[in-house]
Parts: sequence; C-alpha cells; structure tokens
Amino acid sequence: MTNIKLKVNGRDVQQDVENQLLLVDLLRDRLKLTGTHVGCDTSQCGACTVLLDGRAVRSCTMLAAQADGTEVTTVEGLAPEGGLHPLQQAFIDCHGLQCGFCTPGFVMSAASLLAQNPSPSDEEIRHALEGNLCRCTGYVNIVEAVREAAASMNGK
Amino acid sequence: MSSEPTYGRFGSGKSVRRLEDPTLVTGTGRYVDDVELPGQTHLVFVRSQYAHAKINSVDSSAALEMPGVIAVFSGADLVAAGVNPLPAQGMFKRPDGSAPTSPPRRAIAHEVTRFVGEPVAAVIAQTREQAKAASEAVYVDYEELPVVADLNGALAADAPLVWEPAGSNVVARNNHGDKAASDAAFAKAAHVVSMHIENQRLAPAPMEPRGVLADFDEKSGRITITMSTQMPTGVRNTLCDEILKIPKESVRVTVGDVGGGFGMKTGIYPEDAAVAWCARELRRPVKWIAERGEEFLSAVHGRGMQSDAELALDAQGKILALRVRTQANVGAYATPTGCAIQLLIGPWVSTSIYDIPAIDFTLDAVITNNAPTGAYRGAGRPEAIYNIERLLDLAARRTGIAQEEIRRRNMISPAQMPYRNAMGQTYDSGQFESVMNQGLKLADWDGFEARAAESKARGKLRGRGIATFLEWTGGNALEERVTLTVSGDGYIEIFSATQAMGQGIVTTYAQLAVDVFGVPIDKIRVLQGDTDRGTGFGSAGSRSLFTGGSAVKAASVKAVDAARQMAADALEASAEDLEYADGKFRIAGTDREMDLFEVAGRQPDGRVYIDSTTAVQAPSWPNGCHIAEVEVDPDTGVVEVVDYASVNDVGRVVNPMIVRGQLEGGAVQGIGQALCEQIVYDPQSGQCLTASFLDYTLPRVDAAATRFKTELDESTPCLTNPLGVKGVGELGTIGATPTVVNAVVDALDRAGRLEQALQMQMPLTPERVWQALSGSAS
Repeated sequence: MTNIKLKVNGRDVQQDVENQLLLVDLLRDRLKLTGTHVGCDTSQCGACTVLLDGRAVRSCTMLAAQADGTEVTTVEGLAPEGGLHPLQQAFIDCHGLQCGFCTPGFVMSAASLLAQNPSPSDEEIRHALEGNLCRCTGYVNIVEAVREAAASMNGK
Repeated sequence: MSSEPTYGRFGSGKSVRRLEDPTLVTGTGRYVDDVELPGQTHLVFVRSQYAHAKINSVDSSAALEMPGVIAVFSGADLVAAGVNPLPAQGMFKRPDGSAPTSPPRRAIAHEVTRFVGEPVAAVIAQTREQAKAASEAVYVDYEELPVVADLNGALAADAPLVWEPAGSNVVARNNHGDKAASDAAFAKAAHVVSMHIENQRLAPAPMEPRGVLADFDEKSGRITITMSTQMPTGVRNTLCDEILKIPKESVRVTVGDVGGGFGMKTGIYPEDAAVAWCARELRRPVKWIAERGEEFLSAVHGRGMQSDAELALDAQGKILALRVRTQANVGAYATPTGCAIQLLIGPWVSTSIYDIPAIDFTLDAVITNNAPTGAYRGAGRPEAIYNIERLLDLAARRTGIAQEEIRRRNMISPAQMPYRNAMGQTYDSGQFESVMNQGLKLADWDGFEARAAESKARGKLRGRGIATFLEWTGGNALEERVTLTVSGDGYIEIFSATQAMGQGIVTTYAQLAVDVFGVPIDKIRVLQGDTDRGTGFGSAGSRSLFTGGSAVKAASVKAVDAARQMAADALEASAEDLEYADGKFRIAGTDREMDLFEVAGRQPDGRVYIDSTTAVQAPSWPNGCHIAEVEVDPDTGVVEVVDYASVNDVGRVVNPMIVRGQLEGGAVQGIGQALCEQIVYDPQSGQCLTASFLDYTLPRVDAAATRFKTELDESTPCLTNPLGVKGVGELGTIGATPTVVNAVVDALDRAGRLEQALQMQMPLTPERVWQALSGSAS
C-alpha cells in the first residue's frame, strides 16, 4: 500500500492505494469519475486517456502510485464550470461522436495536442490521434472537430 | 401577428445537433460499467484454453480459499439447477433433408468445450481483482479432443466431427433457385465468369465491451438486469422462455448508454444468462464486464464464409444466371442468427439491383471449433453484394465492356418497380441508373486518367473501383409500439423499444416529433431501454428510423388529434374549427387559443397519453453507387484510399449530418474488411491468434485522410412506410468493401498484374498486394 497525494480536476485527493492499482481504476472506482473508459487490455485503444500535468497518458497503463504529486485532468475536469470546452463544443458541432465511448479519450488527446501545438495541420492532428481508436465515426469528423476547436481557441 | 415558426429549424431535414452529445462529451454518460449497486459483487469467467476438449472436472477448492471469493460455479452446477441451453437453429435442415441438430450451447460449458474462450466456470468475488486472481486458481481438468480449426478442416474428407450426432460438420443447407434453368443458361452463355471468394471472419469490436449487471430482489422474485445490448426484449424473452423457464414478468432488462453494437450486441449470450442466474442464486448484485481479449474470443464474429460464384452472361454482357455455392463457418454452435444470415438473409440481395432471371444457390452452414458467428453490420448482405460486385468487375475486364456500362445493361429500371427478385423479395422503389450517373459525376469518373498519370509521377499505382448495389433492411420486424405522454408540466415524453447505440435515435425521433407538435426540441424527451416500460424487436437491420420513426410520427399525430378534441371541449368550440400550429390550438379566425401543454394539464391525470402500434408494409431497400480511388505503393504494397465518393438513396432524410455519419463511419468499417481486418485461428490448435488490438488491425485515424464525398439522393422515397425513409446504418459498410477491393484490382490490372490480383483474398494487406505485384505469385 502507498499513500498518494495528487490533484484531480483541481481538487486535492489523498488516498491509500494498493501498489498495483491502476490510475484508471483510481479515477473510476475510487473517485467515481466514470468519464474515463476502458476499451482494451493491451494499451491500444486510448479510451482511458487523461492529462497528467497537461500531457496525454494512458491511465490503464499507469499505476495510481505513479501519479503521486501530479495534477490529473479527466474529461469531467476539462470544461469551465457548467460550460463546454471548445473541443467538446466542436465535437458536438462537427458530429465527431456517435456512441461516445471513445470520445473522452479523443478529447483529452486532442487537448494535449492543442496545448503543445495550437495550430496543427491535419497531418499533425492525425499523428497525435494515432493512439485513439474509434469504431463508429470513421474519424473524418473527429479530425474536423479538432481543426475547428483549434481555430476557435485561436480566436478565429 | 405572423412569425416564422422557429421550430422548423429543428424538424426533419435539418442537421440538428444531437441531443445525446452534451452528456457524452462531458463524460457523464451511463454505460453499464458506470453503474454501481450497493453490495455489488464481480464475476470473472474462467474460459477454455482448448478449442475442443472434454471437461472432466472443475476444481474450485483453491479458488474458494482466496480473499473475497464468494462462489465458483461450473457448468455442472447450472445443469443441476435446471438451467437450459440457449436455443439452437431449427429452421434449416441438414443436406440430406434430416432434422437440424447442433451441440447444446450452455450458459457455462458442461462436459465438453468447443471453442477457445468458451466460459467453463464463473468466479464471483467482492472485487474484480479478487475474482480475476481466483479465476486463475480454478483447476479445470481438460482432455483434448481433435480440433476442427477452420472451414477447410471441417470439410476435409477425414475431418473430425464437432458434433457426432450430426454425422458431418455441415449441419444445415439451404437451396434457392432453379438448377435446371441456371444450368441451361450457363450452357448457352457467351461468357462465364467464375471466382472463388473468401469473406473473412471479422470482429465487430465496438469500443465498449459487453457488460451485464444483474440483481435479484427476494421480495418480488424479480431479476433486474442492466446491460449493454441492442435487444433488451429479446434477451429477456430468451432468458425467461428458454433458459430459466420463468415467467417473463420476473425479469426486467434496462439499458443505459451503449458504446457501439454493430450487431454484436443483439441476442442473448451465455454470459448474460450466467450472470443473471448467479445474481438470483447468490441474492447479490453481480457485475461482469468483458475484457477486450474476451470479446475477441467469445463475442460473435461476423462474416466468415467462402463462395464459389459464377455469372453466365450473353454476348452483350447481360447476366443470364448467377450460381453460388457457399460454405459458412458458423462456429461451434449453429445459432439461429448465424445460420439465417448466411442461408437466407444475405441471399435475399444476391441479385442486387440487377435483373437476373435465373439463380442456383446451395448454401451450407458448417460448424467448427471457432467462436459462433452472428450479426455484424450488414449481416449477410455484405457477403452477397461482395460476390456480385466482384463478379461484375471481373466480367467487365474479361468482356471488355466498361464497368459502368456492364452494370447499366443489367440494372432494373424504374418501370419495372415494384420488382420481385429471383429470391422472391420485392423492391418498392429505386432509380439505380440515375444514382450511378450521379455517382460517376461526383467521382469525376471521366477524369481518372489524368489523376492516374499524376499518381504515377509520384511513383504510385492508381486504381478505381465501383459498386452499385442495394440492401435489405428491417429485420423482418415491421411493427413498432410507442407510448407518448404530453405532460401538463410542459414536456413530451416518448418511449420506444428501439435501442440507441450511437446512431442518433433520440435526436432523430425528437425531430420527427417537432414536425408534428411544432414545439421547441428541448421539450421532447425520448426514452428507451426498459422492458417494464415497453418491449419490441430492438435495433438491428437498420430498422429504427423507418419502423420506429414511423411509429413515433403516428403516435405524435394521434396525440395531437386527441388533444384537439380536449382543446375543443376546453374552448367550447368544435374540433373542426380548431387549427393547430406551433404548439397551440386556435379557433380559426379568432385569437382564442390554448397551448398544447395547458390542454394536457387540464386532463384528469394531467396528461395526454397515447399507446400506439404502427406497422410499416415492407422492408426498405436503400441503395447506392460507391466509387473509390486508391493509390498503391509498389515498393511496400500499402494501399491508401485517396477518394471515396458515394451517392446514396436512403429515401427522405431526417438528419443529414447523422445519415452522413452512418455512411462514412460504416464505409471505414467496410474498408477495414477490405484492407486490414481478419480473425485468424491457428489451423492446428484452433487458438485465436488475433485476440487483441495489437494483432487485429482496426482502421485508425489515418482513415480520415480519405477524401469522402457523400451525397444523399432524396428523389426516391420509400413507398412502404409513412416517412418515406430507407434504413442507412449498414449501407456504407456493404458498399465500401467491394468498392475498395475492385479499386485495388484495377490498380494491379493497370500494372499488368490482373491474374495475380485475382488470386488475392481479403484483407488486402501490404504483404498480399506486394506479392501480387512483385512476387512469384502466379
């Protein structure tokens, strides 16, 4: 067991966790933040993507203990209070989701991209999202959503 | 006072943003694993490690000692408790005409296991980790039996038998057509085109795995199940009527958000029954959530068949006959769905949009020690359309008749509508040649040579492929019931037993309601997923809009009619003098009016309530022309789908944005089959070699590099339902696979490698394409 202290979506969290507890299970089971999803068991699908100190990580492939001392952001914590982040709005506007199961992972991966590269090309967008699988949309509208969000965040 | 009704912006025909989305993009959806019940326990299955083995014993003693473990159940426990097998197919006789027979498929395997991954025990513990750890301590004494690892293994002369009583691995056969007429046509044909076509086994792979949370209430004796399913009523009925033999009222199935289905979540699984039984047995909530590996091993696979298919044509390229011999690998258990898809449903569209007078089909269901097959987007129709479009593509190359011309010469004309095809199916509408002409224009068919030259300058081989086709929709479940409440509290609640899984039902139904009620769309609540509130076929076969939507419209009209009379009473006028617009009844020529919700509020129970069942007349027949251009890298064999143009007749369109999403998302699935997806079993051991996303290649975001141009032709409404719509959910998938494969064959043909290209089977991986281009393949 390890005692960990971290911030999740801006709130302080302190927990005793088993050494083998995965970060995704800390988020979903302990903190009841079920927006982060588990879609596979080989770290391939990206549905579990969250931000760790602002960068996208696969929460299924991290131990909760590794998140000690960090700031974790999940999809629930992306938007300003009661509103929608430009990425979330763009996904809605561009029909970038159908069943919604992969969507939090895509939104967080895209958030990480735009934090580092505010005006990515389509190729850069696709490269950044290579680690996220979607079975419903065929991806076209997802890329469009990220493009639109980038434009909106750059004040266009 | 006159004002433009603003609600028209949210009615049919508009790309209304989805009502479902704010919840989903903020991560506040409720998928089954998001639901927690007090006292919840967790179930993990022990799964067979062998493709075919006797189960001599299941020793749970060590597992029971482990922390948090509550129970371990084997197949024997369930048999002793009177749990019955899942239903086997009974529709199709064996080749010799004798009655169907199939091994019993139990909720947990008993005495014999017949595919790797089949459940052989269930471990229930306080936490999932505890159950998982204990599952590895369950000792199953297996005695290996000979393995039938694939179709060829099943059909070999000395093949072991999956099920001895059948005497053969071919457990069902269906014949269609007129062999004598077909033989005569082949005898006099100017051209005969023959192909051996493999339609590989696929994993539907929705991003949300299966999951079931079951609870048992001792007082009421009811089992309540929350699960990720497309057909809650079907699950309830089979569980009650066949497996547990309990009254239907004693089970309630509810469904929250479903993370994709694609047919994989239709019908009951053994796991569903096992979880339900365990909850009742233990009198505790029991939750099972599949891991991805379990999905690859034990969720239904799609497709999985091979055909020897032939066309007989006259000198002008007019088709005289179509002959098909198919063997479908339905897996270890011949399920009703798995067999019907290959022996009946797919064949209904085998002649597609073409006027083919003679057919001769022999279709076999073959059992193997693989996972059972079931519905996967298209369910039989992709296989049938793939066969005919590959044959026509080849016929064009052999006869020298252009691709579009040979199709044109064979197309059913509008004057022939309604058209009864050789399988006895009647198409109500379709303008196939017009759709193709639009497709050719959209794809700039005539400008191909210039683009091919430009590709060549960059070292790439460009090819183009076309598919013109139709498909059958509806699931043969043409009736749908809706209950609708107009509440005095200012909202309209509609309950439908169709089931959302990402296809935008809630928004689309709300738009249909806005058409009738003329109120803001945020006043409309569409509810689904509760067998206590309403039952029905569920969502499959692209039926939800034309059957469910028709029912929503009909119920809405009835509600306005009922409210009209109530308003007339309240206003002391006659109903005929009332006009209804924008949510208000008004006495014509006056300004005396009453709001719809006020009318409802004045009723004894504060509402207007409608219970309405609507039947549409027939399946709908959406159709399209799909054209793809690919670039092949001759050094690596990598295929890129550069352009994908489609014109689609889906009748009237309620939400164009959602419809395009279905077509393009579906097309990428079809492209996945064409280029990269395949379930592979080891031919010796029957182990599944593609049981993770590492080995099973789903299309990734680079699919978005394809330039999609997706047009909707609304000029040909469906004549057999009141909305005039045709199903769309599966159309893109069905069209994309032959379109892209034909394009790759075209690229190779232009490089002088047609015969090698014709040896390729899907998926057209870089290795296979490279071999055809450069290897010693002959």
